[in-house]
Amino acid sequence: MGTFLSLPIMILVAALQVTVMPQISLWGGRPDLVLLVVVSWALNATLEQGVLWAFVGGICKDLLSAAPLGTSLIGLILIVFAIHTVRQQLFSVGIFTLIWVSLIGTIIQEFSILIVLLFSGFQPQFASQLGYGIMVDQFRLFIVPTIVYNLIGIVPIYLITRIIQRAVGTNLRLTR
Amino acid sequence: MRNWRSNRILFLGVCLAIALVLIATSQAGFLAPIKGIIAAPLNFVTGLLNRTTQDAVKIADMSSDVPTLQKRVADLEEALARYQSELVELREVANDYQRLSELVNYTSQTQNEEFLAADVISNADSNAPLQTISINKGTRDGITIGMPVVSQLGLIGRITDVTANASRVLLITDVSSAISGRLQTTRDEGSIVGQSSNDLRMEFIPLNAKVQEGDIVISSGLGGNLPAGIVIGQVTSVQQREFELFQNAVVRSLNNFATLETVLVVTNFQPVDLSVFEQSTQTAPGS
Repeated sequence: MGTFLSLPIMILVAALQVTVMPQISLWGGRPDLVLLVVVSWALNATLEQGVLWAFVGGICKDLLSAAPLGTSLIGLILIVFAIHTVRQQLFSVGIFTLIWVSLIGTIIQEFSILIVLLFSGFQPQFASQLGYGIMVDQFRLFIVPTIVYNLIGIVPIYLITRIIQRAVGTNLRLTR
Repeated sequence: MRNWRSNRILFLGVCLAIALVLIATSQAGFLAPIKGIIAAPLNFVTGLLNRTTQDAVKIADMSSDVPTLQKRVADLEEALARYQSELVELREVANDYQRLSELVNYTSQTQNEEFLAADVISNADSNAPLQTISINKGTRDGITIGMPVVSQLGLIGRITDVTANASRVLLITDVSSAISGRLQTTRDEGSIVGQSSNDLRMEFIPLNAKVQEGDIVISSGLGGNLPAGIVIGQVTSVQQREFELFQNAVVRSLNNFATLETVLVVTNFQPVDLSVFEQSTQTAPGS
């Protein structure tokens, strides 16, 4: 059931990402809802299901972007695999797990997107203006605010995701 | 265990490879047609959400701006009231200007006469049958009884009462008013009496006089009560009966006496008191 739910949920989340989130955007950053939902789902799902949600979420997100299709995919796939590795070591998901996953996930996702964009010919103007280098400027101007938003948003989104997972009967069976 | 790890790495590699292929093909433009089809439902949902979001944002903005808007509305209402008041004042000034310029034109056309402009302070008499108006000039301004009062459209009446700062004018429309008039074209004379309306009656016109509708009637100066040549009105109809010795005409004054605002008093005209001659005529045979 969780597999089939991925499409409508990720369509809705991606749409929210480009409609509602810009309204609460501050200092260049905004919550990455797709990332948060994929992370929240992957924390309590099998690797295969997490990867599926990453694929669906990443493609939906890229379809609403000028970036090449698959730009968001690399970061999301890496995060899902990282979560699966970490999740094997955890008995349960607590607030600190959510904070760390959100923090590291945001950094991986944002930098992977930036790298793909740079390879695709993306030339940010702010780098030449500020003179710190693309990575530093990107981190300072976009990633830090996004991290703050994602840290705030991860808890409610994780709780909502858990409610849906319980409702549809999707639960991770730990296999140590 | 080793097998599982290698499978997972393989799985990761396959996933990343798919992602890279997607990026490469997308970058090359091969996926453009497919993207359009896949994105259709997504764009539909996005459009719906966007409209809803924009509406919500507008409502939120409006609600947050309510105090500002209320203050703005209050300011605008105050400004509107102020401008309306100014507009009324300016209209009054324009009307005054129009009236006064017409009066000035009239006075410049009329030579040998001195005028004093006066504002009408009352357009009607307190007693209905009487046809008088009051003006804001009196003895302090040199007004005396008997002075003619005119406007740019013609004769208004004569001063009958004077106080220090106001005067009463008996209109030519009053039933007790009788003045000597003359047809401007034929020079035939008659007596013009009031009829409590803008219509006057010109009586005692000789039967042989050719009176036509539209003829202008002016004051003749006979009797010494009024200067000659002031426009009284225009003939609107003629009544000629076979059994009468004179013919009559209805004369309509060009003035609207109900809406007079400013008039001119002819200050250099002194009525002639003919009663002196009447007394001397009566006393002469006996003396």
